[in-house]
Amino acid sequence: MRRKGYRFLAALLCAGLLAGCGAGSGDGNDGGGAQDGQNTQTDGGDGPDLSNIYSGELEQNVTIRVLENDTAIEQGYFQELIDAFNEAYAEYGIVAVDANMDQYSNLADDGPYGYGPDVLYQANDVLMKYVDGKHIYPIPVQELECYSQIPERAWEAYRREIDGVTYHMAVPVNVQTGMLYYRKDLLPEDWETAWDDNANGIPDMIENWNDMYRFSQQRMAENEGQFGYMRSMYDVYFSSGFLFSYGGYVFGSNNTDPSDVGFSAGDSWMGASVLLQQSELMNEGCIDDTITVNAYSKLADGTYFATMTTPDVYTLFLKELILAYQAQGMDEEAARALAEENLVMTQVPMLPASADLSEENPELIPLKTMGGVNGYAISAYTKAPNACLAFVEFATSYEMVMRRCELLGIAPARSDVAENRGGTSEMIYQKLEEGNVVLMPSVTEVDQIWTPAQSFFSDLAKDAFREPGEKKYDDPEKLKAGLAQVDQQIHDAIFTLSGQ
Amino acid sequence: MKSRKTLRFMDSVVTHMILIAVCFIFLFPCLWLILASFSKSGSIYSFDGFFPSEYSFDTFRMLFTDTEMYNYPRWFRNTLFIATMSCLIGTFLVILTAYTMSRFKFRGRKAIMKTTLVLGMFPSFMGMIAVYIIMTQFGLINKMWGLILIYSSGAPMGYLTQKGFFDTIPGSIDEAARIDGATNFQVFLKINLPISMPIIVYTALTSFVFPWSDFILPKLLLKEKDLYTVAVGLMSLGETEFARFAAGSVFIAVPIVILYFCLMRFLVDGMTAGAVKG
Amino acid sequence: MRIKNRTENPQKSVRVSKANKKKMQSESLCTAVKNGGKQVRASMCLMGLGQLLYKQIGKGILYLCVLVLAAFYFVKRGFADIAGLFTLGTKEADTWLGIEGDNSVVMLLMGILSVIAALCFILCYISNIKDVYETQKRVERGGKPATFREDLQQFLDKKFYKTVLFLPILGVCVFNILPIIFMIAIAFTNYGGTIVPPKLVDWVGFNNFVKLATLSQFSPTFLKILNWNIIWAVISTALNYFAGLGLALLLNKECVKGKALWRAFPVLAYAVPGFITLLGFKFMFSYGGPINQIITGMGNKAVGFLDIDAKWIARIIGLLVNAWISVPSIMLLATGLLSNRDVSQMESAKIDGANAFQQFRHITLPFVLFSTTPVLISQFIGNFNNFGIFFFLRGGLYIDGYFLASDTDLLINWLYNLSINNNYYNIGATISLVIFVITSLISLSIYTGSASYREEDTFR
Repeated sequence: MRRKGYRFLAALLCAGLLAGCGAGSGDGNDGGGAQDGQNTQTDGGDGPDLSNIYSGELEQNVTIRVLENDTAIEQGYFQELIDAFNEAYAEYGIVAVDANMDQYSNLADDGPYGYGPDVLYQANDVLMKYVDGKHIYPIPVQELECYSQIPERAWEAYRREIDGVTYHMAVPVNVQTGMLYYRKDLLPEDWETAWDDNANGIPDMIENWNDMYRFSQQRMAENEGQFGYMRSMYDVYFSSGFLFSYGGYVFGSNNTDPSDVGFSAGDSWMGASVLLQQSELMNEGCIDDTITVNAYSKLADGTYFATMTTPDVYTLFLKELILAYQAQGMDEEAARALAEENLVMTQVPMLPASADLSEENPELIPLKTMGGVNGYAISAYTKAPNACLAFVEFATSYEMVMRRCELLGIAPARSDVAENRGGTSEMIYQKLEEGNVVLMPSVTEVDQIWTPAQSFFSDLAKDAFREPGEKKYDDPEKLKAGLAQVDQQIHDAIFTLSGQ
Repeated sequence: MKSRKTLRFMDSVVTHMILIAVCFIFLFPCLWLILASFSKSGSIYSFDGFFPSEYSFDTFRMLFTDTEMYNYPRWFRNTLFIATMSCLIGTFLVILTAYTMSRFKFRGRKAIMKTTLVLGMFPSFMGMIAVYIIMTQFGLINKMWGLILIYSSGAPMGYLTQKGFFDTIPGSIDEAARIDGATNFQVFLKINLPISMPIIVYTALTSFVFPWSDFILPKLLLKEKDLYTVAVGLMSLGETEFARFAAGSVFIAVPIVILYFCLMRFLVDGMTAGAVKG
Repeated sequence: MRIKNRTENPQKSVRVSKANKKKMQSESLCTAVKNGGKQVRASMCLMGLGQLLYKQIGKGILYLCVLVLAAFYFVKRGFADIAGLFTLGTKEADTWLGIEGDNSVVMLLMGILSVIAALCFILCYISNIKDVYETQKRVERGGKPATFREDLQQFLDKKFYKTVLFLPILGVCVFNILPIIFMIAIAFTNYGGTIVPPKLVDWVGFNNFVKLATLSQFSPTFLKILNWNIIWAVISTALNYFAGLGLALLLNKECVKGKALWRAFPVLAYAVPGFITLLGFKFMFSYGGPINQIITGMGNKAVGFLDIDAKWIARIIGLLVNAWISVPSIMLLATGLLSNRDVSQMESAKIDGANAFQQFRHITLPFVLFSTTPVLISQFIGNFNNFGIFFFLRGGLYIDGYFLASDTDLLINWLYNLSINNNYYNIGATISLVIFVITSLISLSIYTGSASYREEDTFR
């Protein structure tokens, strides 16, 4: 459901313990003759021939175990999905059921021993890890109805070349990336005149970080203990986007070459300096995970004006805000209506090209954000690949994705759904198309970027609260050195022990 | 005489003051957790300082009624079953092992003692991979008995504490009994077991508490949500479910506290020391 | 009197000196083979046959059953498993082509298991020969072969220890020793990184050790962490132990009324699972936590108890939190032990005019120390390898000057970062092996030198 940086320690611990029981990685072409089968032929532009996996004939009377994410189950979407599927495929006796497992469970651990699900819904970095050990089957996506509706950039996240043949490993459903949440009722009353220079009906602080910075200053000056934009800085998922906007990247060659780590590439130090300036207008909570956890209630009680997080937690913010309004004496219905009206989720503001947040009327560049694509994949240990394929096709149809959008507020990867839904869904979709969503690399080595980058970002945030003489990052050279150190640590983590 | 009395009084006062301080240190975080579980808002950040601003029983009610996603009663039953069985089997094995290691001098005994000591030093998570594969090969994944098997068979590794206890019980009574023609088994059952209550209680408590709060093994071996234990279940809670987390944590402590009060009697006056020595 | 395990005639062995006894035992198989009659030779050919010839039907059939079972196992998979231990698989799996293939890791484990099974079988076989020889000697002396019933009774009496230890040893072998042997074996393979099933794993000899020794980033961090780890283990063990003992003594005082109730408070702490405590404390000490709220509420600057600059503060918090978790269990143990203390000694000491401290120093402490030395050692080991504390309190942090570690990490946390987090199982196993050798040598020497190991009878 959520992004990598958030997984509970427990899940991390156990996933880590076992990741090697079956998980594989590497280039997968040292197996000798084994791979020279039918798979090597390429069939024009229609993708590889997968007829040895998918006979095209539906298995009869089988049960497919589907691993879904917790939010989909909680909000009742998953039940609707399997009910609809089971009805449609009743004549074949195909039944889809909940795999009843942890949403983060690792197929590489369970699959080979027969305990895994048949169809899995997980994030691209997780799913693509299964490819090296061939724990999931490639999918003949060109034959699917959704193929043309899903943008190239989303497919890219699931594409892998093996022995010269390009395979698609999963079908994208949902795009996740950072969004700005703010309270409309906390805007200054005169925002339409004082805070809307370009008179487009959107407050300036929502449009660019410089006005957000100014507004944060103003809110802090007005009332002690009150803040503007707040966000825990250590979170790589949200903070790294600032580096990317000024030329940084994760891995080279379009996120596929782990030997080239690019957190310090280009002018990424400017992104770090933006983060530092933002931290100065927050409290110490930005150093650890305090703000991440308390944003829900602090936004609701008006302490914070805005924060950045993923779209799937919209309901949590809404719930808190309704409670807050109810505490002020409103009845539930009125509170809900008002909360829905005042809680706004929108795209993130633009950055100044100069990286100076106090500059007036700066030249603006878009803020890139890290993102992920969640999708359906088919386990290679399933007994019924054709039925699974039918399920994936069913679950990615227009109706089902639309329904998913309505119930969960996700941003769909299907363009037709995004268009018809409008709003946030369309915004994220647009952003993805424009290349301003930097998808998490779909290589195993991505596991190593989190701790080094996270240490740097919390050190950076801490710097805003160090005494003047003790500051570690008070000039660009020091920022550059800090970022170079991150690159080095990631490189070390990946390569020191791997030398074959 | 009088100064002696004041001295004793002072001693008592100081003792009680230290005790109160200690109890406060232990109580406070627990109290915090308990009150947090009664928080109305569910989020810890709406607290005034340490404690919630408003209280209600909602979280506890939710914990036991809202079981669609988080089936706490079921986790609780699973945990209770696993911990009870592991405790019974584990205690039995540990006490027997410790007794044997203390009373019998046989070939390889010192070697076993050294080996077990050394084995405990191997970083345990490295062996988890092996444990997982063993369980897949025996078909014991998603089986509560598999977990019980591991807990109880690992228990004898910690026999050294209990052996230390048996080492302090004089062998003279054993000898007397053996002269009367009792077998070793009878000596253990009729003579040593009754006077070992404190250590049995201690062993039972520890071997109950470990499976009760462990989450690595159940996470590793129980894949299905229906089989989750409380520890695994609590760790799978969403990030805004703090009150539920607190309520679940508080409730998980209840059986142990009850167990403690039931067994307290044995722990304290399990043995009248003077009767045996002499 | 303690029951001595002897396979020989008891009267005879009394005369045998201690040094000779050991020699005798190792030679007993040879003598059995040399001096054995036809029954012994029959048993050498076919397990249990000798016993059957002596009309020990029950025992003979049991031995035969063992033989049949073993034969069945080894033919069915044992031999193949042992062969697999050497090859570690020859065919790589490919799910896309439907090739099942070999899983090297499973083969390694099952190979080790089959070697253990083979050893057990050999032991059984030897015991079978010895047993017949024993009977033979008994018959030679004019006795009768023991009946099945007599044999069984032996297991409740003379051989009681064998009966009792059978299950624990079996369990420990499968779930503790087997995994450890497995991990040691892993240290000599290339399992890890990109080479994990379905890829085939291979034996690489001492390559991993060479790699570690030649890695320049490795040793400075290793020494720094080892240094802190030893400090941590010593301080926290001492702290927990004496705090627990002190608390038990305090509660044992006559002037304290309602002991059960007082003791209930630490037990309350004990009842809350460790990971919940750790998460709770992490939150308490975080920037948004209640402690910082009070500090800022009083107009001070928030304190980063566990943040990136908090080296010693974080370490001290770790020590205290660990004490909070461990003290109750030591208190309970000490309470149990104290109730077992010889009161008459105390009384006589009191009459002799010893003050409370002297009583503690000369009577209570030696007694408690004696019976808890093993606890002390296992506490030390437990603290040395205490993974949870800093993983929960301050995980996910790398600090300058440390190679992929933070300044509160213990060796086991670092090991986790290096191996599990990065999937380098072979390197992880290698480092564990090195750490393991160091720590086990230290604690073994302490243990074998301690009173509770050498003079087990002190307090009898």
